[in-house]
Amino acid sequence: MAAGERYHDRVAGWLTGFAVLWSLLGMTAGVYIAAELVWPTIDFGQEWLSYGRLRNLHTNAVIFGFGVSALMATAFYSVQRTCHAPLFAPGLAWFVAIAWQAGVLAGGVSLLAGWNGGKEYAELEWPFDIAIAVVWVCFAVVFFGTIARRRIQPIYVSNWFYGALIIVIAMLHIVNSLAIPVTWSKSYSLFAGAQDAVVQWWYGHNAVGFLLTGGFLGMLYYFLPKHADRPIWSYRLSIVAFWAFTYSYIWAGPHHLHYNAVPEWVQSLGMVMSLVLLAPSWATMVNGVMTVAGAWEKLRTDPALKFIVLSLAFYGLATFEGPMMSIKSVNVVSHFTDWTVGHVHSGALGWNALITFGTFYFLVPRLVGAELYSTRLANWHFWLALAGVMLYVLAMWGAGVSQGLLWLSLDEIGELSFSFKDIMASMAPYYALRLVAGVVFLSGAALMAINLWMTVQGRAVVRVAPPPVAEGAV
Amino acid sequence: MTWFLFAGDMLVMAFMAGLAVWALWGSSDEAVEKTAGIPLDDEGHDERHDERHDERDDG
Repeated sequence: MAAGERYHDRVAGWLTGFAVLWSLLGMTAGVYIAAELVWPTIDFGQEWLSYGRLRNLHTNAVIFGFGVSALMATAFYSVQRTCHAPLFAPGLAWFVAIAWQAGVLAGGVSLLAGWNGGKEYAELEWPFDIAIAVVWVCFAVVFFGTIARRRIQPIYVSNWFYGALIIVIAMLHIVNSLAIPVTWSKSYSLFAGAQDAVVQWWYGHNAVGFLLTGGFLGMLYYFLPKHADRPIWSYRLSIVAFWAFTYSYIWAGPHHLHYNAVPEWVQSLGMVMSLVLLAPSWATMVNGVMTVAGAWEKLRTDPALKFIVLSLAFYGLATFEGPMMSIKSVNVVSHFTDWTVGHVHSGALGWNALITFGTFYFLVPRLVGAELYSTRLANWHFWLALAGVMLYVLAMWGAGVSQGLLWLSLDEIGELSFSFKDIMASMAPYYALRLVAGVVFLSGAALMAINLWMTVQGRAVVRVAPPPVAEGAV
Repeated sequence: MTWFLFAGDMLVMAFMAGLAVWALWGSSDEAVEKTAGIPLDDEGHDERHDERHDERDDG
């Protein structure tokens, strides 16, 4: 270790702040569109306030603003520590952090203006696609450059997950975004028809897999042992789970296309590989829970650990529900209904948001070398988050199962028993409950923002040195 | 096609079984424990605590 060498944590701190801001903005957009489904006239005739445009802003802000900023922050923080080396090219890391925020912001404005490529979770038009690819490659250079200069031989498991996130998302994004530009704001996909659908859901499902699952598993494998102050229960299991996860996930996308115009065998393959995914998913959940076992007393006093443990429960729930929904006989009820929306949010709110909140409650005080401003506020946040996600999921399960069964019900002469309009009208109570759930969850996130702001106010990021490297460790 | 899927699944299972065997016996307990403990000892604690109150990150 060079004398005076320190980890570069300030960039991680700023990315954490950006992530908190995006969480508030993205969730506010989500609450607003939930309100539009209860009171449809509150778009006030403005195109930019319409459900079709705000919904994309919501998903882009929470996934790419909140989620990716949090992943970049934790990847930069943990890769240095697990390599016992400061970040490679810290200037490039700052470029990644700032360019990503500018890209998500400008991309969000373009969505409100009506620029839209028409692909779910890949709505941004081609100029943004190119910018995203450039920033992502810079992210890869910083991350893998740090791995390359590591001072200890093993590459810790969290870095395997972060590394898979970076490589696979680059591959998915570039292939799915291949398009022929017509104007600055419009392009047409290089793929057509069923091929386009297969490529889109190869991208879409693996974005869920390698970003919202794999990336956050990297966060879990570093911050859970750190916080519980004990190593992961079975390191060998974590490695097996990593490879099983990576190998299985990439095939599962076609389950989004059941009963569509893609070959039957492609749909069946997607279903089978989705079921295989249960094994690595639950292996990770068991590994996480067993890591905390023996440190349960910490849960009473430590809100950050509570968030992380609860996120594991939702991870287990969502990764059980997903494979079940991929079974074609279940999918015939669930597809195109709000059950899917409930499933996505049990993962996004229950797993991604909660583990990120728990990580931030742990990370931010350490970054500035201070105690968390208010444990009481964090506990309030915990219960609001739990109530919010439970209400949301229950509302969407009720709505989705009702929709699926009502759409499938036939009268005595084989005609539909209920019209689409009647079924949608019966959704009103569920949609109102979803709005309440969103407000509750957002209120908790706002408490966190206040708590973290009060924690860092007037303080700067502390400088931390890598540990001395033992003889023969490299 | 059914046989194709079956053969593919069996290949996946064989890969997983091989991986599990390799992960279980491919490295010593000591090396695995040492790797698992990386997050628990990844900061120069003394320096951090000494400098926490008077030295700040400017980069």
